[in-house]
Order: sequence, then structure tokens, then C-alpha cells
Amino acid sequence: MKFRIDTSTGPHVGIVTLSGRIDAENSIELQNSFMSWLLETSLFVFDCSDLDFIDSSGLGSIVSCLRKALEHNGDLRLAGMGPKVSMVFELTKAKKLFSIFPDTANAMQSFGKSEP
Amino acid sequence: MKTLIVIREKDCQWARAFFPDMHPFLLTICNKPYVEFLVDFSLLSGIRQIRLLSDGPLGEVEEYCENGSRWGAEISYASIQSGDDMQTVLAKNKRFCAEERCMIINGMVFINYGKQADYNAFIAAFPSGEILSCSCGSLMLTGNPSGTRNISPPYPFTLSCFDSPGLYYRLSSDILNDAVSPYVLPGYNNEPLCHIGRNVVIGKSAEIIKPVILGDNVQILGGAVVGPGAIIGSNVIIDRNSSVIHSVVIDHTYIGEQLEVEKKIVSGNMLIEPESGVSLAIEDPHLLTGIRKSGASLSFIQYAVQALAALFILVLLLIPFLFLFPVLKLRGKWMQHNEDCYADISGKILNLSVTAIERGGLFGSIAIFLSLDRFFQLFRVLAGQIAIIGSTPLRVSPENREHLKRMPGYRPGVFSYAEAEAWPVDHDDKAIIERFYTAHSALFQDILMTVKAFVNRIHEKSTP
Repeated sequence: MKFRIDTSTGPHVGIVTLSGRIDAENSIELQNSFMSWLLETSLFVFDCSDLDFIDSSGLGSIVSCLRKALEHNGDLRLAGMGPKVSMVFELTKAKKLFSIFPDTANAMQSFGKSEP
Repeated sequence: MKTLIVIREKDCQWARAFFPDMHPFLLTICNKPYVEFLVDFSLLSGIRQIRLLSDGPLGEVEEYCENGSRWGAEISYASIQSGDDMQTVLAKNKRFCAEERCMIINGMVFINYGKQADYNAFIAAFPSGEILSCSCGSLMLTGNPSGTRNISPPYPFTLSCFDSPGLYYRLSSDILNDAVSPYVLPGYNNEPLCHIGRNVVIGKSAEIIKPVILGDNVQILGGAVVGPGAIIGSNVIIDRNSSVIHSVVIDHTYIGEQLEVEKKIVSGNMLIEPESGVSLAIEDPHLLTGIRKSGASLSFIQYAVQALAALFILVLLLIPFLFLFPVLKLRGKWMQHNEDCYADISGKILNLSVTAIERGGLFGSIAIFLSLDRFFQLFRVLAGQIAIIGSTPLRVSPENREHLKRMPGYRPGVFSYAEAEAWPVDHDDKAIIERFYTAHSALFQDILMTVKAFVNRIHEKSTP
């Protein structure tokens, strides 16, 4: 999990790069890290292009991150989701909760539009 | 005429990859195994003798199709080498197809036929050689035609390729969406676009939208939405508030709560996107999982309690047995023979000792009163081979093999749940009672039911 702040589209957007697996082993770590990232910004893009697998606990932690971001008047958008990860989001109806973009650039631009 | 069905492992590699728990010949299309479509086509062509050939294992197929008598056909099986070309295959099966004309279905192809048609005259008169072909295989004829009919395309049936989950999905959807299905599909059907199997439980608030096919022993829980365009296999559970739309769910699958399955194929814990061929094995059993034994097996605690109960009854009956057995045997009122019965739903066979006692006279009545005819079977409980209470052991026969498929929780017992309920016995009523209790088997209930069965037997006039 890598975190960086990007301001290229205007607002401070936290880009979180997820890779490999998110499951019971590291989902708590994601939630804990997210709490520290929230101190820097409340707008996030989770770049899922290197994410190979997600299980229900990983999904739960991403939904929990979204909830926290919304509580801080921010948002969390997903980008570059592969077909397998996308299938899990579809199956569990989690896709309806998120704004999903084909890549990080598009997700960043969407923040630029909504946060002038 | 005869039919040779030649399907090599390379033809069905895709099916093995996506549906590893199912033999490709038995892959269900609208809940009907693929091989049955080929058998149906042979029968409509007036062919009764069919041979299945493969370079892979055929045991599972043989177990399912047996000798084909249930379709009025004669099915045999043979192996080929993966490198064998068609000439070698024909040479190896010379005895089977030399004397008569032979129709050869080569490759994993799907024949689009019509159940009302009679292809007998067409096949008999078609000249030797290839009738139809596609990239997955062909349909050919050997031997001389009878008659001199002039045959030209279009032919009364067509051939489709069947070599990817996408084609499988489209084929299944096309058959499902056909208001007047050209195929005989399993299940009860009194209105178009809707087939429902046996023992289907649908929650009060569940919604079923046509076109839909439901297999046997399907449970659809409250709030679930099934259809339109859903093909649900046998022994499938769709949990609360989930929806299955335009999807195929293969046999023995559990779909968890609050899920949305749309335009997918689900097989056990495998979720497949048909068009892209992307598949994902879901690791969370509460989302998707395979259902294998469905309550048929006993937990260790259940086994231990059952063994203790059997031991207790054995000790209780030992003295009466030692006295009554020789007396009744000498009087010819104790008849005993061994019988092959099904040990579980997989069709494993168990040899059981079956005793019949004539009630006439005091000793016979006491023996029946004490259930001494089950004395020897109690040892099988100690060995963990049967349960103390369960289903009535099904004797091995083609008819009972069919019954077995509709009894997902089948577990033979010394006493049966039907005996405990003293149900007015006809075979179907018995099956309903036994299916219910095996599905809802619980430790204390089993003990109670054993006592009830024991007591109810007092009123029996004679043992079977």
C-alpha cells in the first residue's frame, strides 16, 4: 500500500496504490493507515490496477474507508479495477457504493470537476 | 445403425478448466447433461447402440449413464489414445461399427435438433462421409446408405461449436429463452419458459421471474429474486435477498445472502464472466461455495452418540437374541440374506445383512417386538458404515439409482425416519419424510426418533 498526495488537478487528493491481495491479513492495516491519511486529506483515489485479489474482509475495509472519508466531508473513488476485483464488487453490490473510473487520471479529473 | 461419440480430452479442456468438479460429458446445459443431448439425437435418428470414446477417464460418465437402459439405448464405453486419428479410432472399434452404418459425433459439438423430428430416414439415406462440421468437430456417417433419396442442404439439424464458457452461456440462454423448447428438459413444466424440478422450496417473499429453470432440491430463501433468464442447477441454495438474473448456476452451489449475480456462470465457489472468460474462485464460503454432502455425513459427535446407542441396544438385545435366534432359525422362521444397498449418494455399494422374521407364534412376536431382525445391522453402526436412524437402505437397482439422485441427504440407517413417523407407507411419502429428517438431522432428535422407531415396530405384523 503506497500513499501520496497529488495536487495536479487542484484539490489535495490522496492516491493510495493497492497491490497484490487485500484480505483478512492486511485489511486492518489498510484501515489503520487510512486513519493517518485522513489527517492529510479527505479526498482519495484508490488505484486498484495492481490489485489481484480482494476478499470480503478487504471489501469491508474499503467500504469502511469510504464511510470515514464521507464523515470527513470527503470522498473515496476507485480507479483501474481489474476484471476479477470488479466481479467481487459486482457480486456484493459494493459497486453501487463507489464512483469507479477506468484509471487514476480520470478519477483525479473527476475531483477537479466536483471540487473547483 | 450405431453411434460413436468421440470426444478427446483436448476437446473438453476448457470445460475441465472452468468446471473442475464435473466431467465434461456431464456438464449440464439447462440442467440436462451434455451427453444426454447426444443420446437423444441418436435415438431420434433411430439409433439404439451408442459407444462413448475418450482418451480421458469415463468412470463418472459410466456411473451416470450405466448401460443406457433408462433411455432404451445400449451404451458402451471404450478408451482411445490421444494421438489416434479417426481411421485408427474406427479400426479399434471395427467390431462395433463394421457390420452396420455408423454415425460419428466427433468433438465437443452441440447438435441443434428438434424433439418432434424423426431423423431416421434422413440419416439412413445420407451418403457416407461428413454431414456437418464446425471448428470444434463434425458429424459423419460410415457405411452404405439405404435408399436413394436426394439430400441437399439445409439439413433438418445444425451443428454448433461448444468450446468456451461464452458459447456455453449463449447456448444455455438460447435454449432457456425458446418458448417451445426443441429439447426435452428436466423438471415440471406446465407453462412456457418455466421448468421446476422436484423438492424445490421457494420462500414466501422470493420472486421467480420467467424464463427460468430450477433443478431438483433447490432452496430459494426469502427476498431472493431468481430470473429472468436464470438457470439454477440441482442442490442449489440461494440465500436471503440475493438476486440471480440472466445467469447459470451449476449444481451443488450455495449463493450467500445479499448478493447480485448477473450475466454470470456460478459453479461452486467459481464465478465466471462468460463473455470474457474471466473466472474467480471466491474464497469466502459465506459468499459462494460448493455444496457437496448436504447433511449426508455424520459429525464425529453424532457418530460417537450413534455408536454408543447401537452398543447399548446390542447389549440389551444380546440375551434375547442368543435364546431366540437358534429357536427361530430351527423352526425356519428366521430368514436371512445379504443385499447390496447404496451406502451414500455417490452410489457406493454396501453389502447389508437383511433379516425377515415370521410373526407366527410367541417367539416370532417377541423377536419382532425387540427388533431382533436389525441385530446384525447394529454392528454396521459401530463400524460407522450406516447410521442408527436414517433413510431406508436402497437396494442397488437402476430405478433406485434414479431415486438416489433425488435424495441429497440419503444416509442408510438401521431404523428409518419413516418407521419413526409410522407414515402411511407409499414410496414417495417415505421419501419425503426421510428427506426432511436427513436434511434437519440433529443429535437429540435422532435419539428420540430411534426410540419412536423402536416403539412403532411393536405394531408391525411381520418384518419385510
